[in-house]
Amino acid sequence: MSESSPLIVINNITYAYPNGTQALKNVSLNINAGELIGIMGSNGAGKTTLIRTLNGLIQPQSGSIFINNENIQSKTIAEISKSVGIVFQNPEHQLFSNTVRDEIKFSLKNIFDKEELLETKIEDTLKMFHFEQFKEKAPLNLSGGQKKKLALASIVCRDPSILIFDEPTLGQDEKEIDFLIALLRKETQNNKTIIIVTHNIEFAYQYIPRVILMSKGRLLADGPTTKVLSNEQLIKKASLILPQLTQLKASLRAIGLEIPDALHTQEAVRDFLIKFFESRSHKGGLS
Amino acid sequence: MSFKFLEAFKFYRKKAVLHNLDPRTKLLLALVYTISSLLFTNIIPLLLLFLTLFPLILIGKLAKQWFKSIRGLSFLFILIVIFNTFFLSVSYSIAMIIRIVIMISSFSIFFLTVDPNELSLSLISMKVPFEFAFSFSLAFRFVPTISIEAQNIIDAQQSRGYELKKKGIVSQVKNLFPLLIPLIICSVKRAFNVAEALESRAFGSERQRTYYFTIKYTYKDWIMTFILLVILTLSIIAKIYFNYLPSWVSWGLPI
Repeated sequence: MSESSPLIVINNITYAYPNGTQALKNVSLNINAGELIGIMGSNGAGKTTLIRTLNGLIQPQSGSIFINNENIQSKTIAEISKSVGIVFQNPEHQLFSNTVRDEIKFSLKNIFDKEELLETKIEDTLKMFHFEQFKEKAPLNLSGGQKKKLALASIVCRDPSILIFDEPTLGQDEKEIDFLIALLRKETQNNKTIIIVTHNIEFAYQYIPRVILMSKGRLLADGPTTKVLSNEQLIKKASLILPQLTQLKASLRAIGLEIPDALHTQEAVRDFLIKFFESRSHKGGLS
Repeated sequence: MSFKFLEAFKFYRKKAVLHNLDPRTKLLLALVYTISSLLFTNIIPLLLLFLTLFPLILIGKLAKQWFKSIRGLSFLFILIVIFNTFFLSVSYSIAMIIRIVIMISSFSIFFLTVDPNELSLSLISMKVPFEFAFSFSLAFRFVPTISIEAQNIIDAQQSRGYELKKKGIVSQVKNLFPLLIPLIICSVKRAFNVAEALESRAFGSERQRTYYFTIKYTYKDWIMTFILLVILTLSIIAKIYFNYLPSWVSWGLPI
């Protein structure tokens, strides 16, 4: 693959479910290696269908998908899953082993032939996901958040170059979300391409640099998250809720405050407001 | 392994003769064909029985879903052929496959054409207590949900390297665990959740219930019932006097 060519090229794909629901309509998209992107939209927008096409679980009825310059339609799911790992929304759909350790082992045994390497990788994964103390525990007895983390671990340990998460923040507490953010940072530093399907607009606004908005099977927008998620019309069209920061900026503008568009973080808005109020108090406008 | 055969038990609203029949008639159909098929172990009588059932599948516009169910259960046919051929004969294997096809087809007709709401009403009209009728129709309604869940489980396992098809019977059986365990657990959990939701909505607090919809046995149902009883009677007579029937009825392969 050349340096400049995208890692994932989706060309004009369409897909309709057997009941006639048109889930994807002429979707085209390029994703570069090492990118962290979010896919957002209302329920039924086609987000999950789109990610399922990326590892061959769904074959588009027209169009093509290239990963690493190879058309994936000629490959089996088992072959594609070595480079594309999807963590599904419901962790209980994949947990079946007697212990946490066995659950990780199941994901790895197709990759590592040598017992020693396999054991090392299992131990590394248990350590990375802080599962050492739970390793002999039954996965189904873990808490909801821990189950989700285990499902995550069972995909990440396979070391695929493309990681896809379907609603990773759903049902996660603050500590677990912090762990996820740290993991995302680490994996993007390792040049992993990460695609996140989420409804969590605050999470996307803060941590995902590029976002794709979908509605009724079509792409509505594709661009920098702060720009896309600040566009009220687009957000309305995608049936989402504006990020709190954008709402705050809109409210401040409504009372006559000229707040620049370029302020995209809480800190930047806070600093702007401090400066604004300081300047007003110096002028004697505020006590 | 695919769970697509569950499609054969998913109700689709259609404008077809079978769909308009009373659920009790369709239940009778399933029972008559199941009982009749259990009476015979020879190819020809079972084939004749199937030939009376097949037009109903066509009339009911169910051919596509019926074919899916038969294809989905092909692994079962392979098992029947292996065990029966090994212990008995090829003719017996073929007869058993036709028997299973008749049973699946007749229940497939029932599930594909009976609205779950009508099912509980028909059970109530047969003096089944409401709680049982409701549970039965609820279970019936969950078949498509389980089918979707099963597909999600397959997808989730495949994205971590699970291979759907493996060689060898032992490997194939072992291969079912990653699919069946999550499916059973999710189904049991759902059952508990539904039970709690029902209880929290005061299910069963009223002894006397009234029903918004009612079902009616029409002249079409009576005609169908008559035909079905004729088939059952003929099957029983044929079974009793089997030895007096022409020899071609008991035809079988030499192996």
